[in-house]
Amino acid sequence: MKKKMYLSMFSAAAVLSLAACGSGDNEEASGAAGGNDDSGNNAAEGNEAEGNNEGASEDQEEVTLDFMHLWPQGSSPDHYRIVEDIISEFEEEYSHVTVEMEVLENEQYKNKLQVVSSSNQLPDVGMTWPAGFLEPYAEGEMFAPLDDILDEDGMRDDFVAGTVEAYSVDDQAYALPLELNIAPVFYNQAIFEENGVEVPETYEDLLSVIDTLASNGVTPIALGNRDRWTGSMWYMYLADRIGGSDALNSAIDRSGSFEDERLVDAAARIQEMVDHDAFIPGFNGLSDQEAKAEFMNSSAAMYLIGSWDLPNYTTNEEVDQEFRDNIDFFKFPEVDGGEGEINNWVGGPGVGLFVAEDSDVKEEAKAFVKHFTEEWGKRSVEDAGVIPGTQVNTDEVDLPDLFIDVLDELNNASDITLFADVQMSSSVAEEHLNMIQSLFGGEVTPEEFTEAHEEALQAED
Amino acid sequence: MSNTAAMEKSGQGIKIGSLRLKLSSMILYLILGLVALLQILPLIWLLLFSLKDNQEVFNLAPFALPQDPQWSNYARVWVDGNIGLYFFNSVLVTGISVILTILLASFVTFALTRMQWKLSKLALGLFMVGLMIPVHSALIPLFSFFTTIGIMDNHLSIILTYTAFNLPLTIMILLGFYYTIPRELEEAAIVDGCSIHRLFFRIILPITAPVVATTAIINMIYNWNEFVFVNTFISSDSLKTLTVGIQNFIGQYSTDWGAIGATLVISMLPILIAFFLLSNKIVEGMTSGSVKG
Amino acid sequence: MNQIMSNKRVIALYTLPALLLIMVLIYVPLALTGYYGLMDWDGIGEMTFIGLDNYAALIVDGAFWSSAWHSLLLAVFSVGSLVLYLGVSLVLASDVKGANLFRKIYLIPMLLSSVAIAQLWLRVYHPTNGVMNRFLTSIGIENPPLWLADTSIVLFAIFIPIIWQYAGFYIIIYYAALKNVPNEIVEAARIDGASPLQIAYKIKLPLIAGIIKVTIVLAVIGSLKYFDLIYVMTDGGPNGASEVMASYMYKLAFRTNEFGYGSAVGFFLLILILIVTYLIRKATTSKDDEVQY
Repeated sequence: MKKKMYLSMFSAAAVLSLAACGSGDNEEASGAAGGNDDSGNNAAEGNEAEGNNEGASEDQEEVTLDFMHLWPQGSSPDHYRIVEDIISEFEEEYSHVTVEMEVLENEQYKNKLQVVSSSNQLPDVGMTWPAGFLEPYAEGEMFAPLDDILDEDGMRDDFVAGTVEAYSVDDQAYALPLELNIAPVFYNQAIFEENGVEVPETYEDLLSVIDTLASNGVTPIALGNRDRWTGSMWYMYLADRIGGSDALNSAIDRSGSFEDERLVDAAARIQEMVDHDAFIPGFNGLSDQEAKAEFMNSSAAMYLIGSWDLPNYTTNEEVDQEFRDNIDFFKFPEVDGGEGEINNWVGGPGVGLFVAEDSDVKEEAKAFVKHFTEEWGKRSVEDAGVIPGTQVNTDEVDLPDLFIDVLDELNNASDITLFADVQMSSSVAEEHLNMIQSLFGGEVTPEEFTEAHEEALQAED
Repeated sequence: MSNTAAMEKSGQGIKIGSLRLKLSSMILYLILGLVALLQILPLIWLLLFSLKDNQEVFNLAPFALPQDPQWSNYARVWVDGNIGLYFFNSVLVTGISVILTILLASFVTFALTRMQWKLSKLALGLFMVGLMIPVHSALIPLFSFFTTIGIMDNHLSIILTYTAFNLPLTIMILLGFYYTIPRELEEAAIVDGCSIHRLFFRIILPITAPVVATTAIINMIYNWNEFVFVNTFISSDSLKTLTVGIQNFIGQYSTDWGAIGATLVISMLPILIAFFLLSNKIVEGMTSGSVKG
Repeated sequence: MNQIMSNKRVIALYTLPALLLIMVLIYVPLALTGYYGLMDWDGIGEMTFIGLDNYAALIVDGAFWSSAWHSLLLAVFSVGSLVLYLGVSLVLASDVKGANLFRKIYLIPMLLSSVAIAQLWLRVYHPTNGVMNRFLTSIGIENPPLWLADTSIVLFAIFIPIIWQYAGFYIIIYYAALKNVPNEIVEAARIDGASPLQIAYKIKLPLIAGIIKVTIVLAVIGSLKYFDLIYVMTDGGPNGASEVMASYMYKLAFRTNEFGYGSAVGFFLLILILIVTYLIRKATTSKDDEVQY
């Protein structure tokens, strides 16, 4: 029931309002700017109110706000800098608050979050992933509902439609998104040219591109399937192109079955691709990073990955300029006779900010989340290459073309299917991811693949 | 026993014997040398690894030289990594835990093996079962316990945890050695009017120096490289240890491997030095111990 | 004498601090793991008591039993490799020239953290660029194994680094034990004309039997709860082909929000270790054996 909600969250019209491009939308952009002004005014009012308070009680109690995030300075210097700036701005505005941050790496972050929440010691503000990850925290009343911030001066409209819903349970939002990604197929134009192949528009084209490349001794696709979500994206796309967004979504929200012919067909095509030597040898034992290296050194021609990887193909100075110039992307090809649309994307929001339900400084924490999300939205694309959950005005940002193109695609998306492992509950996701490895490895038939999913989904009910 | 001996006694036997001995010792050294080379390679690999950029880490053969050695990896680690502070914390936490563990374990082992009491077997059993708990089972209970007694985000929490978790292993290793100490030794000491504490500190501890050095090395390595407990129990950056420095370079979607390599090299140096020092103790301790024994 | 060696106050003084520490930091978590195992709990929110349901589920959980099988296999391999370590230690502890240097070199890899070891072996096993497959292709093998991607060999491929990782640990213990063997006994045997092999087999090994038993127990327990490299290098995959009990437990507890069930697995793991340890003890301890563990 809950699932259905965020499955169908990205409606075409809604996503269209993402970025303001062209004259027609300028009005809206200025409207948004107006909205910002409003919030500015409000903030000023807030300050006044605070000022009054201060007048009443000069020494407003000093409080500490604990903030846990996963962008270490070493690996994510840009993110880290923005975070620091935002915090110092916030501390200036709310002079009685000191923000103490704790930074952990992804895996360790997830573990710690669970450990601290089991003892009711969540940080006041922290990061969460949407849907399946967030659900137990929301249901366990660990995260505070944030609808009050969203309803304040129309903040809800600042977000790309559907993103907030991914963090909602029973129509209440439990976190505000900071990231939004879609997954294009990146490809190396130089390799395509050398081998005389064109960007594939259909699955059959893709197969023949793969055949040509493979017979010329070029690895067609870099895939690090030890991480499993990587292979899952290929399956998600095929399922979408064959059955439309409906096939997968209805299977997961239980209005349909996973043993759907279309989903079996998608699985069969995965194995067909494997049989055509589409993927890098040993993909089931390689991490995404190891596989990516093959794409980055131009020994693999294609690579399906989230738009978070865009900086590697645009702004990252550590990557060879010539290579960056060679990279472009295409939309996942259509399947002949399939129901899916080429403008459907696999993707979704990444991390978002939550406020702990038991926080002693809930008001300040909420103010911080609001402030953070707004400021992050203004800076993240340009300064850190992260597409935020809030709307980006592509006219106003200075970005490489490839970036703008992806933003435009996001803008034109007809639907976005949430990454399967995020969308499903964690135990079904685990089964899905394991079956993905087996499917790619040829250890199960497409029928067994869908059957295992169906069983896992039924066990959930 | 006598076959080879007999052969060596005859004149020809000596020749063949020494030839065979020479050949076999050559083969022995060849094998020893080869294995030694294999065991050194990881260090060289790590050194090269720390000088590569992210592309080279994956694209070059493991032992290929980086085109343009990235000394900047080390600079980055020093500047962004806050290594100095973490380093101090690591030394502090590791040092205290190792000493505490070995002292407590020696006490226990002494009581278990040299003293007579009814419940000694039960006590030994209790310590042994302590070996069996998987680390991840303990995280949530320990976290809530430390929160309750208020030593969360305090070095005490990890020091106590390291000590408790290494005690069973240390006791197990000590046990085997304590059993080999001849009883006459303490009998003589007691007859001489030595108090039991004196016996322990002045006679038993020095005699067990080699095994103490051995367990010290093992404990040191475990504590030095541990990160699950640190991450869980410590939140303040100023209290974290070196393993955190590694995490600093693991990003949400990608990882700076060169910098991780540099951190690994830096954090391995002190432990390498400590290891060489302690490792000599294994031999030295024995000679001094046998003099007394 | 006996009175001094059974002084209750001294025994309490020597054992209670350590006992208290492991009671609180190990046994309480153990008990809680057992308790959580009776709960339906996602590790985050409220828990519900469900009795033995988790254990009932465990009995029919194929993924668990296959991980248990893998852990047992690892235990068998680890114990088997002890023979190798013992052999190396015998050589290092003998009077071979340069043994001291070799010993230090041999122990170096043990100083590496799991992070480094995992990265190293991932480079060894890389399907195209890896050390192993580059070598195999260079000697003309066209389709070398895909190691970590191949479900039929991944388990054994991952055993090798694990066993390599622990080599130093056991060698250092054996070495210290062998150095502890009184020189006089060895000398006496040599004068009697015993060959080095005979000295090793007939004199040294029996003298360190106690420590050998300890290492067998350590190897078994360590293997049954092994986690590190598997988690980093294969994450238990492909599709569970290299899953072991501890990594399975970890996934349940921290990834799929089945903390209750994960705790049941953890508790079951503990019981399994207890049984296996008991069996080993039975098999290796004779009645008149002084060494108890």
